[in-house]
Amino acid sequence: MSIHVVKRDSLSFGKKVLIYLGAVATALILGGLLLLAMGVDPVAYYSRMFTMGMIGNKIAYKAAENYLKIFVPLVVTSVALSLAFKMRFWNIGGEGQFILGAVAAATVAFQLGPILPQPVTLLLMCLAGMLCAGLYGVMVAALKVKFGTSETLLTLMLNYVALYFITFLGETQAAWNFYLDEESVRPIFANFSKIVSFPSIPIGKFGLNVCVIFAVLIGILIYVYLKYTKQGYEIAVVGDSPGTAHYAGMKVNRIILRTVFLSACLIGLAAAFKVGTVGILSTTVTDDVGWTGIIVAWLAQLNTIAIFVISALIGVLQYGSTAAAATFAQVDSSFADMLQGAILFLVLAADFFIRFRVVFAKKGGVTNGNG
Amino acid sequence: MKRKLLTFVMAMAMVLGLASCGGGGTTSTDGSQSTTGSASSTGTSTAQNTDFKVGAIYINKKSDTAGYTYAHHTGITTAMEALGLDTNTQLVIVDEVAEDDNAVGAAVDTLVGEGCNIIFGISFGYINAMDQKAQEYPDVIFSHATGYKSNETNFNNYFGRIYQARYLAGIAAGMKSLETGNNNIGYVTAYGTEYAETCSGINGFTLGVQSVNPDATVYVKELGAWADEVNESAFAKELIDSFGCGVIAQHCDSAQPQIAAADAGVFGCGYNSDMTADAPTAHLTAPIWNWNVYYQKAIETAMNCTPDQFVTEMGGGAYYGGLAEGFVDISPLTENCAPNTQAVIDAVRELIVSGEWDVFSGVKLSYDIAEDGTVTINKTDAPLVTSERDEVKDDVVVVPANTEIVPAGGASVEDGVITGTMNYFVDGVKVV
Repeated sequence: MSIHVVKRDSLSFGKKVLIYLGAVATALILGGLLLLAMGVDPVAYYSRMFTMGMIGNKIAYKAAENYLKIFVPLVVTSVALSLAFKMRFWNIGGEGQFILGAVAAATVAFQLGPILPQPVTLLLMCLAGMLCAGLYGVMVAALKVKFGTSETLLTLMLNYVALYFITFLGETQAAWNFYLDEESVRPIFANFSKIVSFPSIPIGKFGLNVCVIFAVLIGILIYVYLKYTKQGYEIAVVGDSPGTAHYAGMKVNRIILRTVFLSACLIGLAAAFKVGTVGILSTTVTDDVGWTGIIVAWLAQLNTIAIFVISALIGVLQYGSTAAAATFAQVDSSFADMLQGAILFLVLAADFFIRFRVVFAKKGGVTNGNG
Repeated sequence: MKRKLLTFVMAMAMVLGLASCGGGGTTSTDGSQSTTGSASSTGTSTAQNTDFKVGAIYINKKSDTAGYTYAHHTGITTAMEALGLDTNTQLVIVDEVAEDDNAVGAAVDTLVGEGCNIIFGISFGYINAMDQKAQEYPDVIFSHATGYKSNETNFNNYFGRIYQARYLAGIAAGMKSLETGNNNIGYVTAYGTEYAETCSGINGFTLGVQSVNPDATVYVKELGAWADEVNESAFAKELIDSFGCGVIAQHCDSAQPQIAAADAGVFGCGYNSDMTADAPTAHLTAPIWNWNVYYQKAIETAMNCTPDQFVTEMGGGAYYGGLAEGFVDISPLTENCAPNTQAVIDAVRELIVSGEWDVFSGVKLSYDIAEDGTVTINKTDAPLVTSERDEVKDDVVVVPANTEIVPAGGASVEDGVITGTMNYFVDGVKVV
C-alpha cells in the first residue's frame, strides 16, 4: 500500500469553512484540556485572550493602541511579502530587511531629527528605511537572476547578519555609537521619541496613530497594483510560469528585481513606522513579523484583503495571549506561545487538507507517475 | 476569484466566532468585578488588602526554577504571603519581557489596566521605560531593580550591598587558602571593570581574602556575558589547571564553576543561591540575595501610603540594603570550610551590621584567633589602593596603577561609586 498526496480540484464552500473552524476549535480544546490540568478555567482564560484583557480594564484604550502597534508592522510586512510570494520568490528575509530598515530610520531620526522639521524627518525616515531594506532584499534577487542562487537560503542567512548587526550596535559603547543612551553606564538604546515620532489623532482618550491610516492606504494601493496594473499582471505571469512570461516578451529578470525591491522596500517602510512610533531601536524590534508575515500571507492565499483580516486576528492572538497569561499565576508566556503555535499549526494543517487530499492506494493500483 | 471570496468569508467567520467569545468574557469579568466591589464595601482592613494588586515585569519566565527571575519571583511571592496577600489573584505578572522600551511600556499598560498599585521591574534595561511610565501614571508606584533612576514621588530603585556578603565569602576563601597553603584563588566573572556591580564584587571578595591571607592573589577571568555555561566551566578549569587556584569564586549565573572545582578536588564560593547541592565536596559558602526583604518592605509601605508618598516613606529614591537589613547574606558554611571560619565571619558581620566599619574604607581588618577559638579583630589604618594594572577605557588611562582611592583611616567609598562608577580593581586582583 502506498500513500499519495493529490491536489484537490474543489471543495464545497461549507466544507472549507468547517475545516478551518474545526482546526481552531481543536486547538482551543487541546489548550483547554491543558489549562484544566493546570487548574485554570479555560473559559475565563479564553475570554480574556480573545478580548485582549480589555474588558474591565481601566485603560482599555491603551490596550487598543498597543494592539495597533503590533498590527501595523505585521500587516504591512505581510502585504510586502505577498508581492514576492506571488512571483514565487521565497523572501523569508523579512526579519533582516525589517531590522536594516529600522536602523536606517533611526539613523535619520538621530542625525536629522534635531535639525529638520518633524514631518520632513518622518518622511526621510520612511525613505531611508525603504531604501536600505530594499537594497538588502534586491541584492539577493540580483544574485538569483545573475547566478541562479537560492533566494530562500540567502534571505534566511541575511536575517542573522542583520540581527547580529543590530546586536552589535546595541552592545558596543563607543564615541561613534549615537544609537546608545549616553547617560547609561550599561549599553542601552537611546530613545528619540521626544525628537521625532508619528503623530496620533485623538479620538477621545484613544490616540489613532497615523501609521494605521498609512497601512490601510498601502493595502489599497497594493491591491490595485496587483489586480489592475500591467506590472501586477506581470508578477502573476512570472509567478505562474517564467517560461510563458519570457515567451510573452516580458523582461523576467527586470520584473523579479523590481518586485523584490518593492517588497523589501515596503518591509523597510513597516520598520520605519515601527521605530517612528515607539521611538527606540531594540534587538527585538521586529516582533517576529518577518516570520509571522509568512504565515499571514500563506493563510490569506496572498489576497490583500484577507491579509488585513488575518493580521488582525493573529494580532489579537499575540496581544491577547500576553494579556491572558499575565493574570493567571499558573500560565507563563511559554504556554501562551505554545497555544498560539497550536492554533496556527492546526489552521495550517487544515489549509493543507483543503488544498490537497491524501489517497491510500494499493501497490500497483493508482499510478500517477511517481510510482 | 472564488478562492479569494472563500478566504474572506472564512476570516469573517473567525471574526464572528471571536466576537461571540468576547461576549462570554464580558459577563464573567463583570461577575468578578462585582465580587471585588462587595468585598471592598465592607470596609475592613482585610478588604483593603484584597484590593491591593502587585504587578511585576520579568526578563525570564515566571515558571523558572532557578536563576535571576526565579530569585525575584520567590522574593515577591514570599513577601506577599507574609503580608497575607493572595499570589493567585493579587499578583499580575508579564513575563519574558525584553529590554525594549516598547515591550516594557506595553507590559506596564497591561499591569496598570489590571489595577496594579505597585509595579516591580527586575531587569536593568527597563530603566527608561519605567521612568517614563512613572510620569504617565502618577497613581501607580514603580520600583526598579538594579537601576539608578528615581523621582521624588512614585518611582524608586533598589539594589543590595552584595559586596558585604562577598567580603564574608572572601574570608571563608582566605581561611581555606591558609589551611591548604595555596595562595592562588580564582574568580570567574561575567564582566570586570565595565560594570560597577561586578567590579565592586571582585574588590569586596578580594579585600575579604586579604584580610585573612595578605599574600593571596585573586586571579580573575572575565566571560564577557552574564551567562555562558560552557565558558563558566572552562574558565574555572583553566584557573585551576594553569594558575593553580585552590578556591574558585564566581559572579555568573550557573553552578558550573563550582562543579568544575569539585571535579578538580579544589574548593569554591558560589553566588546567588546556596550551591552546596551542586558541588557538595567543594562548596564553602555563597553570597546570596534575600529579595523578599526588600519586596516585603516595599509592598507594605505601598499598602500604607499614597503613591506620591512612596519615595519619602521608603527614605529616598534608592534603596540599598545590606547585611544589616538581611537583604544580602551568605549561605550557611559547609563542613568544607577551614576551622574557625564561622567565628571570624560572625565577628566581622557584627562589625558591618552595627555600621561601625565597611568594606571600602581606609581601615583594614585582620584577626587573632585564640586557641579556644575566640576571635579578636584588629583594625589597622591602611589606604585602599588599586591593583598594579592601569585601567584603560577607549585607549585612555582612567585609573593609573597603584592609585590611592581612600587614604589610611579614611571613610568608605560613597554608595554612588559602589553602585555606579567603580572602575578599578584593588590591590591583590590579577586579571588573566
